Amino acid sequence: MGQITRTLRRGLDALYLTGGYVSALFLLAILSLIVLQMAARWTGMVVPGAADYAGYCMAGASFMGFAYALNEGAHIRVALMLQFMGRYRRWGEVWCFGVGTVATVWLFWYAQKGARTSFRFGDISQGQDATPLWIPQSVMVVGAALLAICFIDNLVRVLFTGTSGVKADISDHAQSE
Amino acid sequence: MEQFAPIAIFLFVLFLLLGSGVWVGLSLLGVAWVGMELFTSRPAGDAMLTVVWRSASSWTLTALPLFIWMGEILYRTRLSEDMFKGLAPWLARLPGGLMHTNIVGSTIFAAVSGSSAATLTTVGKMSIPELRRRGYPEEMIIGTLAGAATLGLMIPPSLTLIVYGVTINESITKLFMAGVFPGLVLAAMFMAYVMVYSKLSKTWNPTPEPPMTFGQKLANSRFLLPVVALIGVVIGSMYLGLATATEAAALGVIGALVLAAGQGSLTWATFRESLLGAVRTSAMIALILAGASFLSLSMGFTGLPRGLADFIQSMELTKLQLLMALLVFYIILGCFLDGISSVVLTMAVVEPMIRAAGIDLIWFGIFIVVVVEMAQITPPIGFNLFVLQGMTRHEMPFIAKAAIPMFLIMVVMVFVLIAFPEIATWLPENIRQRPAT
Repeated sequence: MGQITRTLRRGLDALYLTGGYVSALFLLAILSLIVLQMAARWTGMVVPGAADYAGYCMAGASFMGFAYALNEGAHIRVALMLQFMGRYRRWGEVWCFGVGTVATVWLFWYAQKGARTSFRFGDISQGQDATPLWIPQSVMVVGAALLAICFIDNLVRVLFTGTSGVKADISDHAQSE
Repeated sequence: MEQFAPIAIFLFVLFLLLGSGVWVGLSLLGVAWVGMELFTSRPAGDAMLTVVWRSASSWTLTALPLFIWMGEILYRTRLSEDMFKGLAPWLARLPGGLMHTNIVGSTIFAAVSGSSAATLTTVGKMSIPELRRRGYPEEMIIGTLAGAATLGLMIPPSLTLIVYGVTINESITKLFMAGVFPGLVLAAMFMAYVMVYSKLSKTWNPTPEPPMTFGQKLANSRFLLPVVALIGVVIGSMYLGLATATEAAALGVIGALVLAAGQGSLTWATFRESLLGAVRTSAMIALILAGASFLSLSMGFTGLPRGLADFIQSMELTKLQLLMALLVFYIILGCFLDGISSVVLTMAVVEPMIRAAGIDLIWFGIFIVVVVEMAQITPPIGFNLFVLQGMTRHEMPFIAKAAIPMFLIMVVMVFVLIAFPEIATWLPENIRQRPAT
């Protein structure tokens, strides 16, 4: 039993980290696209659809990074009440992860529905790029699935062990400020 | 507002979710769903996906991760040491002496980073021990650092201003330009306070610096100059209309990489760490923005924004009265929420109000940033205070007390901004033609 949970644990953490790396690759892609576009403009050329591609990469970077950011404790929240709860904090966390699980499963459900609709009706981008929308949207579906898995994972952990795997680091929270 | 009960439920759910510690982005998503169910028969899920996708795949948003990444790269260089060594010789002769390194250092780092916590740690890491060793009063070290680090939110690149611009569909470049002079004015006010304090205080007796020749001073700051040049490139390219905000961010990332490589601090590990740091922070903000985009759609159906705007108009408040009300409102909100969340949470309601009152939205962006900056140094939730506590091991009340004068200076800044709106509006009105895309 312990062996299985340990393997599962390592597998899931690796999964979130992989999401983080994929997200990092999307950031690199954004940088390349913007530089390419700038260079093209200065030399009087155009890269058709570069702005749209950068937008898809942005969505990809965000969605693929969501679960990783959650696991690293980067998503912010108002923790005042939770700190106040002291030893009952566990039940507060169960509530938070419970709401999070419902919200992210809901998000995932409609993400996959939206992407499937785009595929079925052959929706293409309004921009110059004319990309079939289901391609970038499927990245969103994968990212939303990862986030939902991460929430379920943490909900189960809080329920059974009392603590989530989310790292609490105040300086990390404050990076955004 | 004839539908009182549904609105009460809507607001109750909002406070319940946010207050109980549900992640901000998901709280917004949840309350927006409640709003959709209460106020319209439109299918909530499909509407949610449309707006979330549109917000997540927006081109303007790409400036955000790039600017974060640029700050993350420079944060991992030797900038911290060079900052103090490079600035100290130039500031030693001013009344108040090396205390000014806190403020000038923060101003410089604020111009490469949009985050005030990163500004705080970068500057404080060196300046706190150095200033202590020279016998500067502890309270002033802590206070000036807490206050000046908030400049990270105002001086471009500013994450809060990017989020504000994306939320209300205003030009990021204009907002950035609007932040330049107010940021410098605020820094000058902090410095003036240090000068006056050092003259009036009877216990002010730090160790004086040994005199240095001009050549030595220059030699000491040779590592700082490339950073200043990078700032010039990033802000200058936007001002001259050579680059959009996103393109300036890309230039900034490349410049930061070159600079780090030149210093020898660019290793595979720091590169990967900076990139993953950018992923975390930008994913965090993107989740909030995704929730906020759905909330603002849902908020439209509740009639709350229009109702409030009409209500405010019927009260015939002067602009000043309206701004004072908003000032108090945001300070209270800032006690519980971080700056970015406060902005996205309220803009759907506040924007129509501001437009109806005829207040310039670029100017208001700077106003709101100063106000959420204050929230950074007010308890119970002031992120700068937490970071300082981690760095100095002081008790929270001591740190909060040390920051009070800085808080008051910011209040003065709000009134300066109201009295002389040109500080914010002059530069954006005078930027060159922006490139087409």
